Amino acid sequence: MERYLNKGIKQVIIEFPAVGSILDEYNIGCTLCGVGACLLKDIVEVHNLSPEEERELMGRISKVIYPDRVVEIPVTQRKNGGAGAGEVKYSPPMQGLVDEHTVIKRLLAMIPFIIEDMEVSRGEDRALVLGTVDFIRSYADRYHHAKEEDILFKEFDENLDIIKVFNEDHKIGRGHVKAVIEALETGDNRSIKEHLAGYRELLKGHIKREDEVLYPWMDRNLSTSQIGRLFAGFINVDEQFREVRAKQGAFVKTLEKKYKYEEVK
Amino acid sequence: MAFEGCPGSRMAHFQDKEAQDDTPAAKVKSQLRQWPVQLHLVSPLAPYYQGADVLLSADCVAYALGDFHTDYLKGKSLAIACPKLDAEQEIYVEKIKSLIEDAKINTLTILIMQVPCCSGLLRLAEVAAQSANRKVPIKYIIVGLQGEILQEAWV
Ligand SMILES: [Fe+2]
Ligand SMILES: [Fe+2]
Repeated sequence: MERYLNKGIKQVIIEFPAVGSILDEYNIGCTLCGVGACLLKDIVEVHNLSPEEERELMGRISKVIYPDRVVEIPVTQRKNGGAGAGEVKYSPPMQGLVDEHTVIKRLLAMIPFIIEDMEVSRGEDRALVLGTVDFIRSYADRYHHAKEEDILFKEFDENLDIIKVFNEDHKIGRGHVKAVIEALETGDNRSIKEHLAGYRELLKGHIKREDEVLYPWMDRNLSTSQIGRLFAGFINVDEQFREVRAKQGAFVKTLEKKYKYEEVK
Repeated sequence: MAFEGCPGSRMAHFQDKEAQDDTPAAKVKSQLRQWPVQLHLVSPLAPYYQGADVLLSADCVAYALGDFHTDYLKGKSLAIACPKLDAEQEIYVEKIKSLIEDAKINTLTILIMQVPCCSGLLRLAEVAAQSANRKVPIKYIIVGLQGEILQEAWV
């Protein structure tokens, strides 16, 4: 079992697809993760399972890997008890990031409306796509993702698989935006739709995993002093991006009005 | 239920608790890095508060919490007060406000006992924080009479 505990989760799932389904049952979305480099033994800590859940989950996984023998499973050593997943209460700086996610999710919800019947040769449609790209670049990327990459992730070892996974998503997102801009120049409607939809799918999953897995895990591992440092760093960035926040907040509102879409509460 | 008076001063005797013999291998070193510590006596302008992670502890906490020095005081600057007995608590509010604004502290952690009157210290800190023109993360930790941690959360 030790051998598999130290293996990347994607590898384990490829070898034993049933393990993927078991993880899905516990709402651990490794099957959906693009990178999957986390080690099997890290999954328990990262997802903050209770000791009971951990025993049950690891017992089932070991049955899949070794159907005909009983295996001794080492219990994960955890810093902060492993309270089990309950209602998440974020530290103040993390709560700020979660609030920004809410704004980004509201924009993501508008994308299907924007790309439906879109025809970029029409001025209005073109302006909507440009506005969306501007939101993604300035608010989601230069403001929010930069906060994560330049401040938050710097508090952790950037060689950790879990950090790499989220950095990788940011890169893929930038790829989608670049493709949208290129397609705007050539007037390629299909490619614009494809990449905006792709961006939406990517970010939806990315934000969900940050809210439910990454941030709670980080909060459990950050010291009070680090929380203070993050808080001060974020306030600084918030000041610098005051105008961007106001402008893009208004843009989302305009879209919600246009498509008569109720605000995400 | 009969009226038993103020829960903050109600008597309790933890008889089943023998003098505990789990003495650490080495002597526990003091983590205190300043003097004075009482909130009326300290100045928010003291160098040890500048940019610091500050622990504002109710007086009784240090006696209940076995690991006070190693787990809570370590790395922090301290102020202590009693929200039940101390006089002139409006000065406390001003001092906490000054810690946030002038000493530009990094974080504030409020350590209080579970007895109801102790939450007054948290309220003082909240009033001070609301009136300050700067924001810092504030955490509170509630300690049980036998030193157990009952709650730990960000305000
Ligand atoms: Fe992210
Ligand atoms: Fe994010």
